[in-house]
Amino acid sequence: MPDLNAIKAEAKRLLAEGVVEVVVAFKPGDTPLHPQPAFFTNVDEVENLVYDGLCQNNLATFLTRLPKTKKVGMLVRGCENRSVNALVVEKQKSRENLYLVGIPCEGIIDWRKIVERAGEAVLAVNENNYVVEIETRDEHFTFSKNELLHDSCLRCVHPTPLSADILIGEALPEGNLAIARKAVEEFEAQTIEDKYAWFQKEAERCIRCYACREACPMCYCTECFVDHIEPRWTESGATPAGMQGWHIVRAFHQTARCTDCGACERACPMDIKMTYLTEKLNHDMINKYNFEAGLDTQTLPPFATVTLDDKNRFMA
Amino acid sequence: MSLKPKIALFQCQWCLYSPTDQEWVDSQLPENIHLIKTPCTGRINPLYVLNAVQGGADGVMISGCLPEQCHFKTGNMAARRQLEEFNDFLDYIGYEKSRMRFVWLDLQDRGIIQKRLAQFEKDLEALGQASNLVTRVKVAEGGQNA
Repeated sequence: MPDLNAIKAEAKRLLAEGVVEVVVAFKPGDTPLHPQPAFFTNVDEVENLVYDGLCQNNLATFLTRLPKTKKVGMLVRGCENRSVNALVVEKQKSRENLYLVGIPCEGIIDWRKIVERAGEAVLAVNENNYVVEIETRDEHFTFSKNELLHDSCLRCVHPTPLSADILIGEALPEGNLAIARKAVEEFEAQTIEDKYAWFQKEAERCIRCYACREACPMCYCTECFVDHIEPRWTESGATPAGMQGWHIVRAFHQTARCTDCGACERACPMDIKMTYLTEKLNHDMINKYNFEAGLDTQTLPPFATVTLDDKNRFMA
Repeated sequence: MSLKPKIALFQCQWCLYSPTDQEWVDSQLPENIHLIKTPCTGRINPLYVLNAVQGGADGVMISGCLPEQCHFKTGNMAARRQLEEFNDFLDYIGYEKSRMRFVWLDLQDRGIIQKRLAQFEKDLEALGQASNLVTRVKVAEGGQNA
């Protein structure tokens, strides 16, 4: 785990020296399992700052909700850094107005996996050196962190922020792309009926609360396609067509923009598996265009560029 | 299959240059083919395709101009990138890849679209009726208030 005091010291320095106007990070939440995103605007508040594996939000979400010209300091992990880069590519924020405090990420703990193993009455969670200790009212549990990691963190490729202004802690080794690719290929190998049955089973639990949209840093349209009334693009009720349409188009809008942070899945109150959709699109983008979202702040995503070289592929 | 497969034909308004073909597409299409004419293939949002699929189309055909002959320079290439990926994506979810087909049409082509449609229809008949992803509530005959 990165040193919390070092993070606090850096946040204080940024605010005291006027480098940024606000630092976006986490503060303790109502329960030990849910630290909350927080906006620190003066030095005294920074004492409240926390950071651990349970900080599950993607903070880049708040980038598009703050004024464009505001100088923002932000705690970023690998995926958040890539989301920020992707937003800079899409001109949602200028990189000069950002100061990124990078944290090499050891993975985000899925709170559902804790609840599954230890029950809901968790009093305290302590995390040290890839070991997680959980206190409940009557019991004490010890788990290895890998056991509790969120699925998208298990296949993470870039845990270390790629373009942070300062890195707190040691850089971690890169992950293995083959792990994620294997999952996609295994799913692809199923029959069409099985694939549809799985999708149907996941989509039919949707209650259309759009928590996934709110949690996603790349979903920043002022008017989402599902909110259009005239023309109505898709059924807006919790009907089969509406639920499936939402998940298909939500995922497809993330093509070559998704950084696979998994915030959508963690935000879902119905525990719908949806990163398997964006994961497929990410891997197609790597295979076809050798493009991964958010690796730098210049390269345009494949759908925003066109080359005539394509024609050889499409004419065949 | 007793009935002919339902096909949604998305057509770029510039790609059928021959007046007789255009006339045929505009007024003599068989009943099982539904024409959606767009200003360019680049205007085809994947949402439109999804709407066709959810509404019960057994196949989707997209016809556009040759790569270098787009009226808007690059509209067809941009569309092809998106729609090809959308096709792969729908296959991943459960709508067979072969139910979507792209046609490049040349300015000099005559009578191609009919042949391609006939071939596509034959292939779709072999595949059978689409059942996956067909979920949209049918609008009552005569409009929503009927």
